[in-house]
Amino acid sequence: MQTTTIPPEMDLVYRRPDTLTQTPMHYCPGCGHGVTHKILMEVVDELGIQEQTVGVAPVGCSVFAYNYMNVDMQEAAHGRASAVATGIKRILPDRFVFSYQGDGDLAAIGTGETIHTVNRGENILVVFINNAIYGMTGGQMAPTTLLGMVTSTTPFGRESQVMGFPLKITDLVAQLPGAYYVTRQAVHSPTAVRKAKKAFRHALEYQKLNKGTCFIEIVSNCPAGWKMTPVEANEWMEKNMFPAYPLGDLKVPK
Amino acid sequence: MALRLRTGNQMIAQGAIQAGCRFFAGYPITPATGIFKTMIDELPGEGGVALSAPDEISAVAYCIGASMRGVKAMTATSGPGWALMTESVQYAVMTETPLVIALVQRLGPSTGGATQGAQGDVLLAEFAVSGGYTLPILSPSTAQECFDLTILAFTWSELLRTPVVLLSDKEVGMTAERVDDDLLRNVTSQDRLQWRNRSGGLEFMKPKTYGTYSFDCVQEIPAFTPVGGEMKVTATGSAHNKQGKLQKNSPETLEVLKHLEEKIRWRENDLVKVDADIQNGAKILVMSYGITSRAAKDAVAESRKRGIRVSFLGIQSLFPVPSRTITESLQGVGRVVVAEENLPGLYRSVIERHCNGARVLGVNKIGSLITPNDILNAVQS
Ligand SMILES: Cc1ncc(C[n+]2csc(CCOP(=O)(O)OP(=O)(O)O)c2C)c(N)n1
Ligand code: SF4
Repeated sequence: MQTTTIPPEMDLVYRRPDTLTQTPMHYCPGCGHGVTHKILMEVVDELGIQEQTVGVAPVGCSVFAYNYMNVDMQEAAHGRASAVATGIKRILPDRFVFSYQGDGDLAAIGTGETIHTVNRGENILVVFINNAIYGMTGGQMAPTTLLGMVTSTTPFGRESQVMGFPLKITDLVAQLPGAYYVTRQAVHSPTAVRKAKKAFRHALEYQKLNKGTCFIEIVSNCPAGWKMTPVEANEWMEKNMFPAYPLGDLKVPK
Repeated sequence: MALRLRTGNQMIAQGAIQAGCRFFAGYPITPATGIFKTMIDELPGEGGVALSAPDEISAVAYCIGASMRGVKAMTATSGPGWALMTESVQYAVMTETPLVIALVQRLGPSTGGATQGAQGDVLLAEFAVSGGYTLPILSPSTAQECFDLTILAFTWSELLRTPVVLLSDKEVGMTAERVDDDLLRNVTSQDRLQWRNRSGGLEFMKPKTYGTYSFDCVQEIPAFTPVGGEMKVTATGSAHNKQGKLQKNSPETLEVLKHLEEKIRWRENDLVKVDADIQNGAKILVMSYGITSRAAKDAVAESRKRGIRVSFLGIQSLFPVPSRTITESLQGVGRVVVAEENLPGLYRSVIERHCNGARVLGVNKIGSLITPNDILNAVQS
């Protein structure tokens, strides 16, 4: 990738932080993973904690997070990210540790790990990308899939009698005493991005206090899995996902 | 002829449905998702249940529950999912619960290569059971064989009351090829041998007394009684007596454990499915299985064109090892070539001891398919 030097008479309004690599992202156009990576890494950069940050990526579309996030990154087995993060944090309690997981990873195969990580109040940040579908494996139903939503494994839409209800795992973990800060955000508009970024900043700052788990859900999209254009996907998300998964704080420190 | 383009995964699903499978549970994983998807689309229309599970641990357990009621059940996965399933697969062995698991291999270890083929799980599958109990394994190499061997897998699983693994791989599972619909008709499917309607007969005698696992001699297969039926059923993954009750080290419990293996061993010469092409006077025998046996067949044809006398044995029933068939194919053979897509020669390590001192040579590779040329070189060397 080419870099250009900015002439001295121009103001620098934005630069790629060192916490993001120059690798072009493999995500589909319009996918929320890319923006989420970006703001998380911007916060790590702004807090000056790049050298002290360790991330654990999932199995899912963000397996390649280590290619983009310029911090120590491990990819755990499917569903085990917060468990691996627990091991790292227990040995390196002074580091900033986060897991980054999709809804299949965090709320299906990794449900046990998720609940027990928060229940123990592990001093880590759990980033949860809820796009209501399994992106990587080709658009199957996820636990968070909305009622009536068509996926490759719910060809007639998700029916609650057969496949249960969308799992609001963020509401669930917010009930646990180990949770210190729980919030639900989005990254589809400049306003949303600003708010989400603020949430990441809070979460990483709180980690220094050793008070418990910070859990950030990003209600996101999957244009490829939803079979929509990026614009359609964001509109559909606002109309359908936000009512089911309302944005805002679920638990804030007293 | 009625030709259609179908993938191996689709043919496993179709085979299962024609074999009478009416319960499927799965969790998405490349390269096995095609089976899951086809079952989701097709099974409800056949009056069956197809369920999405939150992980492979649940998927296989749902199937075991359904099978305990007498419904034929199947799940499908790849290496990482198989690793999670093995606890319940052992439970199915211990509780003598029929079940078919399609294991569509991809490159390992761990997440490995989701879209890369491999034949690296053959021993991982077979030796998943503590104590070394035989898990019958069938391995198809074409879409048509996917269909045929799925039917056979259900038959064995029902007859033997044990889980059976269908060991496919990414190339066989995801490649679409011609299948003749006319060859898919007239399928006979094996029904569960129930306590109530079981007649006498040499192989399946009715034991004198009822118990969940009653048998009079260790080789006998206990008649099945469904949960929720007339008879009381007790099942446990712990070591148990013939009533299915936990018991430690009693002579009856040890007899039940011995029976779990003996019921299969005793029938091993009936549990043979191979693709044999034996040439008179051949000094060389080429053996393979799964996708690689297609390259092996080509290599054998080419060798013969070049005047080399060579026999071929494609092994579809990998376990129990068809030792008698292998020994018979070795008449006059001085050199055996075993081709498979893994580095150590996993299946070769198992069959070597049945090769009566013939020189055994491996053709092994990962990362790409073994070609007919790779095998030809070994034949000519
Ligand atoms: C044990 C195991 N089972 C299944 C898979 C296949 N697999 C890979 S990614 C994935 C789900 C991804 O969905 P999600 O977590 O929602 O993340 P997204 O891709 O949507 O970001 C699955 C099931 C696997 N790698 N390991
Ligand atoms: S498949 Fe969906 S989640 Fe994955 S990169 Fe594409 S849009 Fe994003």
